[in-house]
Amino acid sequence: MTGTELRKPALVAVAFLVAMVVIAILLAGANPADIVYGIVERALFTRAGLLEALMRTIPLTIMGLGIAIAFKARIFNIGMDGQLIAGSVVAVVAAPLLPANVAGIVLFLGLGFLGGAVWGGIAGGIKARFGGNEIIATIMLNYVAVQMLSWLVRGPLQEKMRIIPRTDAIDQALRLPVLFDGTRIHAGLIVAVLAVVVVALVVMRGRFGYRLAVVGSNDHAAQYAGISPSRMAATVLVISGALAGLAGAVEVAGLYGRLQEGFAPGFGIAAIAVALVARLNPLLVPVSAFGFSLLYSGLGALARNGVVPFPLINIMEGAIILIFLAASIALRRGPGGMRGASANG
Amino acid sequence: MDEVVFLSSLLAAGIRLAAPIALAAIGETLSERAGVINVGIEGIMLVGAFVAVLFAVYTGSPWVGLLAAIVAGVAMSGVHAYFVVRLKTEQIVSGIALLFLGLGLSGYGYRLTLGEAGAAVKIPGFRELDILGLADVPVIGPILFGQHALVYLAVASAIAMAYMFRATRLGVIIKAVGETPVAADSAGINVDRVRFLCVLVAGGFAGAGGAFLSTAHLWGFVENMTAGRGFLAIACVVFARWNPVAAVLVALVFGIADAAQIRLQTIFPAVPYQFFVIAPYVVAIVSLAVGSRSSRMPAALGIPFAKPR
Repeated sequence: MTGTELRKPALVAVAFLVAMVVIAILLAGANPADIVYGIVERALFTRAGLLEALMRTIPLTIMGLGIAIAFKARIFNIGMDGQLIAGSVVAVVAAPLLPANVAGIVLFLGLGFLGGAVWGGIAGGIKARFGGNEIIATIMLNYVAVQMLSWLVRGPLQEKMRIIPRTDAIDQALRLPVLFDGTRIHAGLIVAVLAVVVVALVVMRGRFGYRLAVVGSNDHAAQYAGISPSRMAATVLVISGALAGLAGAVEVAGLYGRLQEGFAPGFGIAAIAVALVARLNPLLVPVSAFGFSLLYSGLGALARNGVVPFPLINIMEGAIILIFLAASIALRRGPGGMRGASANG
Repeated sequence: MDEVVFLSSLLAAGIRLAAPIALAAIGETLSERAGVINVGIEGIMLVGAFVAVLFAVYTGSPWVGLLAAIVAGVAMSGVHAYFVVRLKTEQIVSGIALLFLGLGLSGYGYRLTLGEAGAAVKIPGFRELDILGLADVPVIGPILFGQHALVYLAVASAIAMAYMFRATRLGVIIKAVGETPVAADSAGINVDRVRFLCVLVAGGFAGAGGAFLSTAHLWGFVENMTAGRGFLAIACVVFARWNPVAAVLVALVFGIADAAQIRLQTIFPAVPYQFFVIAPYVVAIVSLAVGSRSSRMPAALGIPFAKPR
């Protein structure tokens, strides 16, 4: 089956999805053109919207990198939300023991990394040791993590005042410094940039990257090349979990200064869309993350003003993933691609 | 006697809680047997739950709601089928997209319609049946005779499906498509068509599962109310070794775990309730570790079929 034979049905799918989003907007009594204009205007041409988007880009980039690594090995980690929580919890619990200086900040982030790695590692162990499906394991661990956080911020970790279900603020010295005066853009931006560089080097140059590619292509090839797919699966889940935990620690140290429920809603799911649209390329992940952040920032403003209900964002995320899937098929060049194209033209 | 009554009510509630998972799992079994995995079941269930409530409220009939949910489930899974069967895309990715779509469509639709009022609306929901007037018989009455109609339909369709796989030509065709599609193709079977239809039927089951949740169990719609039940359904299929009747039994285990955690919360008020809420999820994680090694997986599961030239 060549790519060109599927071009037309792929384009039909794209048209259908675009129509679905347009109809959804019309059903809300809004004008699709206004919505697009509103998103672009708020996200790109207002200072507040742009800064909000930039801030959200930080965790989405770090987590998108984790998804990209995992999906490259065909390991589907849907549990980044839980891993993010686990990482932030470990970091915040240990925060009082950390030195109040730059080393403390690094340790704080390192503990987040570690906590996420452990939570991802549970699913990794189940996959590697017992062959348990990682999609189900990571999803189930999400629900466990959410409940644990709910208990912690109402119970043992609750602030001394015991009014709001949240922890006390971490030491000011452990907070990530603001990079630009008058904004809330914090040093997490540097962490995100470093993460992109490291992951890109590892995936594109290193032996590990080669192993990822081999395992991702198929299990038999991996076995032939002397790579154990199950050990690779565990490693990949640990790494992507660690990145989710790091993103959580960055959010806590950079923005909130404490733990509370629902402090990073749906980031794990959004990171999947980010990585898929970036076609699992680490260098494109920040671009894709910024794009989705603009969408969130712009649509969020419209939703707050009651123009359209907010779940439109999930419809658009789903549609965007499917449109990218279909587009990659429509643009694929199979054998005889040119002939097919001229025959169609 | 108290213990017996407690056990009886636990089992009856467990069946109620298991029903949505079981319905989705029966459908997913069919789809996976034909070689297509759909991890977007959760999204389909959410849309089913919303559509059922919407149509039940507007028409006053939960049966119309159920029918609408089934249609919506078929339509949602049609998107998945089009992508994975027609366009041959990665099945997991398409399923994930379906999850987003379901989350969005159900939440969006609800906020535009019933949620707009702000106040709760009265849902004409399904009531428990009272078969032969035996539902009040102590202990076994509520379990065997006092369930919702959909529960009996679920059990019946699981048995029918098991029979289909075991003893009918259709069952052989579906299994062939999921095991050795190339051979099935050379035997003149239209692999893509069989897969497409199986995915659609699976979507109908998931839609019905969502409808049960919102019109028979919780009597209302809340955003993201499925709370992982779609993924539990996929877990059921794996533990049940792709056997529909066994899938219903595994779903029952999850349902009982859920019913038990609700009861334990009131028995042990000193223990934080969150420790009980995680029970069904922990059961699923443990059973993943215990029950996953399986050689019964359809050989062509997850692999797009390309006609050999």
